[in-house]
Amino acid sequence: MGHIIPRRIAALALAWLAFAGAAFADETCNSPYISTLIKGQEDYVYVWALGVEGLGDGSDKLVTVDVNPKSKNYGKVIHSLSTGARVEAHHMGFTDDRRYIWAGGLSDNRIWVFDVAADPAKPKLVQTIADLGDKSGYLGPHTYYALPGRMLVQALSNTKDKGGQTGMALYNNKGQFIASYAMPTEGGGDGYGYDLAVNPKKNALLTSSFTGYANYMRPLGELIKDGEAMKKFGNTMALWDLKAMKPKKVFSVPGAPLEIRWSLNTKDDWAITATALTSKLWLVRQDGKGEWIAKDVGAIGDPSKTPLPVDISIARDGKGLWVSTFMDGTTRYFDLANPEAPKQTYEKVTGKQVNMVSQSWDGKRLYITSSLLANWDKGGADNEQFLRGFTWDGKELTQKFEIDFTKEKLGRAHHMKLGSKTLRAG
Amino acid sequence: MSALKYARNAALSLALLLGLLAGLLGVSALCAHQPEPLPALDFVPPAPGSYTLHRIMPAPDGRVLDIDGRSQPLSRYTRGQLTLLGFIYTTCVDPEGCPLAYRVFDLLKAAIAATPALHGKVRFVTLSFDPARDTPEVMRRYAGSRAVDTSGGLRWYFLTTRSARELMPLVEGFGQDVRVPYDRTSGRARRELSHVLKVFLIDRAADIREIYSSLFLHPQTVLNDIETLLMEEGSRPLRATETK
Repeated sequence: MGHIIPRRIAALALAWLAFAGAAFADETCNSPYISTLIKGQEDYVYVWALGVEGLGDGSDKLVTVDVNPKSKNYGKVIHSLSTGARVEAHHMGFTDDRRYIWAGGLSDNRIWVFDVAADPAKPKLVQTIADLGDKSGYLGPHTYYALPGRMLVQALSNTKDKGGQTGMALYNNKGQFIASYAMPTEGGGDGYGYDLAVNPKKNALLTSSFTGYANYMRPLGELIKDGEAMKKFGNTMALWDLKAMKPKKVFSVPGAPLEIRWSLNTKDDWAITATALTSKLWLVRQDGKGEWIAKDVGAIGDPSKTPLPVDISIARDGKGLWVSTFMDGTTRYFDLANPEAPKQTYEKVTGKQVNMVSQSWDGKRLYITSSLLANWDKGGADNEQFLRGFTWDGKELTQKFEIDFTKEKLGRAHHMKLGSKTLRAG
Repeated sequence: MSALKYARNAALSLALLLGLLAGLLGVSALCAHQPEPLPALDFVPPAPGSYTLHRIMPAPDGRVLDIDGRSQPLSRYTRGQLTLLGFIYTTCVDPEGCPLAYRVFDLLKAAIAATPALHGKVRFVTLSFDPARDTPEVMRRYAGSRAVDTSGGLRWYFLTTRSARELMPLVEGFGQDVRVPYDRTSGRARRELSHVLKVFLIDRAADIREIYSSLFLHPQTVLNDIETLLMEEGSRPLRATETK
């Protein structure tokens, strides 16, 4: 990453006259340690796409889409950067300085580091971290969560038996391994991992749980017929002492709790998650005695039909939550004015299959992608692969653009991060 | 409760009280920023020694200028003692930036002064990342009495650099973000820069062991970390020449 030094020296030398203060917070689902926030119109959506054999170069790639309505390239792919590998590309995350995106795949241990600051319109691959398996024994990096000067990586599996026993690995921002932390297997812990999220004010780290490589790499139709395999999903969340990086309490949260979102409202100290298999919203908060608890606060759709909630996106004031359910291709909005009793106030079918949902800081724009996992996506005509951009006026989602990832030979569209040309850093 | 822990808690309480009084009474400090009270932690931090502070990365080295304008290697200020280092610029007014660090450093200084067991074991370093403005003389004025105060068993060094070229390897090495905002309409770099507060706890062998942002920078957590590193040294005596 050192190649950016000369450019930065030049930029700093020119601009070394006065300084602005720091900004804290971020778009609604990122680490609170991330330094810069896109409060206005984002310029780019970075899409981490799974390669498809026979489609284009077949590799996983970082796709940059221009999403500024004032741009002549609005709604178009302006850059695509292939990794040359196809490893079930899944999630990504910014470093705390928002200069780099770390991204990885679930069938592999490599982590790709993209520079998105030198030229936010044209990310550049600057590093590949390849020692996760050797150093930690974990497989399938999923969540990349920025801590000051470090990245905490939550894995889904392990290199030994490719089951669900896994943990987190801590790296410094230079990509050097520091330590690993096994998911709890005592006190009710099942050892599974999925997402993590931090509340610094409470020194609280929450983790959730999914399943291992042996399950998530199997075709879904085959998997759900395997009773024994279906028992191998996480049913817990864990509260950790962030400072000590030690689990303090395990909550029973049946049905694979996935994404975790702390309310960003400074008056709140609760987090919410959705369970994939049981289709429920769960709230984690402190009770009147200060004890952390997790409780089922409502259903998402009809759980008996297994709509499979796969992603959530919380409003910046903690008053609303978007939920996407994969099987019915529906995007739902829940009023969280009372997080103890979320109320669904809107729903719309936004695709034949939908997965990730991301909103702008002001909540006026929503981006939706289609792919869950290569072997879990639907087949035939239902296998739509897209990025769709919507506006939200508080009453109606209106589609503004669509990129057909199959037609464009880009692959399966999965995770998204927002970018801005104003974040160019020398 | 260990004697050190008892003394530290008492000292921290005293320091927080002094800070509170200073804030309430508007007592002016002798230097650029006056200490203000900090809210109490909203959690019970883990006890010193009950957790591990991993070696995050080595602290970088480079040339710096002290307040007399002498060029020194930064390593002179990052080895041999526990070091709390923070980047600042003297014109910073963001309450969650440099002033916050200054308040925390002031409160910590008072706490350490009141804890003899910590005397001679910790130093503070305040390093400017605005060499154009923050000359050694400006840093001297910014520091006020802090730069010459040798009481309380702690030295506080105020450093700057000769140029951006000398500074940038340090900024990059520490991972201290400094950004050039760009104007959306013109596409040109704006005159100001932005940064995010980071404070680094460095062990005697010059390894960075903790990085605090404004969300986690509190005298209580820093003191716990200092004690944790001292307890670690107590169980495994550090011999710097073999460590590095």
